Amino acid sequence: MRSTRLSPYLFIAPFFVVFAAFGIYPLIYALQLSFMRWRGAGAARWVGVDNYLYLLTSPDFWASLGNSAVMWVLIVPLQVVAGLGGAVLLANARLRLRGFFRVAFIAPFVTPLVAMAQVWIVVFDQDYGLINYLLNLAGLPDVAWLTSTTWSKPTLALLFLWKTTGFAIIILLAGLQAVPGGVYEAAALDGASRARQFWSITVPLVRRSMAFLVVIQTLAVFQMFAEPYVVTQGGPYGSTTTAGLYLYNHITASDLGTGAANSFLLVLLVFGLSLVSVRLLRPKDEVS
Amino acid sequence: MNNTRPGLAQYAVLALLAIVFLYPIWWALSSSFKPAAEIITSPLSIGELTLGNYRAMFADVPIGTGFANTALVLLVKGAMTMFFAPLAGYAFAKYDFPFKNLLFGTVLLTLMLPTLVLIIPLLLEMSALGWVNTYQALILPGSIDAFSIFWMRQTIAAIPNELIDAGRVDGAGEFGIFAKVVLPVIRPGLAALAVLTTMNVYNDFVWPVVAVNDTSHQTLQVVLSTLAQNVTGNRIGADFATVWGELLAAGSIAMLPLLVIFVLLQRHFINGILAGSVKG
Repeated sequence: MRSTRLSPYLFIAPFFVVFAAFGIYPLIYALQLSFMRWRGAGAARWVGVDNYLYLLTSPDFWASLGNSAVMWVLIVPLQVVAGLGGAVLLANARLRLRGFFRVAFIAPFVTPLVAMAQVWIVVFDQDYGLINYLLNLAGLPDVAWLTSTTWSKPTLALLFLWKTTGFAIIILLAGLQAVPGGVYEAAALDGASRARQFWSITVPLVRRSMAFLVVIQTLAVFQMFAEPYVVTQGGPYGSTTTAGLYLYNHITASDLGTGAANSFLLVLLVFGLSLVSVRLLRPKDEVS
Repeated sequence: MNNTRPGLAQYAVLALLAIVFLYPIWWALSSSFKPAAEIITSPLSIGELTLGNYRAMFADVPIGTGFANTALVLLVKGAMTMFFAPLAGYAFAKYDFPFKNLLFGTVLLTLMLPTLVLIIPLLLEMSALGWVNTYQALILPGSIDAFSIFWMRQTIAAIPNELIDAGRVDGAGEFGIFAKVVLPVIRPGLAALAVLTTMNVYNDFVWPVVAVNDTSHQTLQVVLSTLAQNVTGNRIGADFATVWGELLAAGSIAMLPLLVIFVLLQRHFINGILAGSVKG
């Protein structure tokens, strides 16, 4: 009996030990450091809210948030539309080769991001890349995919979209498959057109999955790091320095106090954004 | 679900999507076996096949070390997750104890912590401990993650209590019930957890690139990224064809293991990805 009472605590203890050591402790330490000036060596000096003020008045900080916001606009709406389209096409129970399509769509999600980022460097090279080669074949001029501030963001957004849209399809497909088939049959009997069925049955019923998708992809876009780190190093002219890469740059600059402050500002932003998207996308009957 | 017979247009759109998703992978894999110069001069055709890019790449970057380090991290971190996550999930699913809700709430709360935010705090801790460039730095942070516990709790909650009580009547100890009754029943869930953990650890990049900067401890993904940075860093005067050949060879060899496992175990992968998506 005694062991029964103790055992659940023993079973969960390892997680809490790891979490205390590598979650809570570093967070408290970093919170303290965010009020200090420290360059990775020597003594740290208390500077109050200077690090936060520095960031909030720094054009580079706002530019990094702006870059991430543009990425969000380029990625999330398109992914929701494409994901829903793909899911609707796959949901048909009489579709042949469904397993093959599912595997094909998910394959990019399984590939290592760094490896595919390298492929992007090669494929989107202005002088020798495959994409410009194809454009030239079609009689079109070269595009400076990775070396112009106009195209650098769309090119990275394309990498993100290519890698994760199959994932979006699978998420939305799971939502769609929870819709009972009888609902559509009833609607068809009532004379509802296919388009009408889509807008009045499919969309409201997958709204929850869509909200979920928007939240996790918003978090992912604002933490985007490996794509610009590998493909563009944040350039050209800082046009792909995302919020995530900007945060990382404090490490290379050994400006860890500012980096810690930046971490907490980013947490606030990410929490705020997910709260907003959850609220905006909540099904109407659940308001209040 | 809509069950009218799918038309030709539907298949055409799906086929087009499949090409868009698969072609970049196929192009990278097939081009990596072409003579380096042809990757640039004739990107679409495949003629002579060679291992030249792979030879050059192996001579250039410590990719073998990268694979070995990733394997080590994967093995230890994976073993910790596969043991401790179901154990904690079992406690939360099948026991009543004081502060249970508070403790489980803490687990859920940590799910919401963005990974990127912990990077600088953790790096500071690692340098204070003198753990930068060590295996423990790569392995221990996040070694028992909240999401896996949450997932295993859901899985184990579905086991009928009678089964667990029967084990107790047979005289098994608390841990014995976990090992002999619970684990065998949740095998499909464990398989999906294993697959998801493998994918996450194998592809992990942000923390390894921060925690480690000497070649002897770099994981595969970090080794890959240094190769890419050399390319973009030495653009002027670099022999493009050779470097690209190496990049594609490295990328291909890095993506192959997971793609093979994925094709073999696709059901577990898709279950794992679906369940894992709540992690965000």
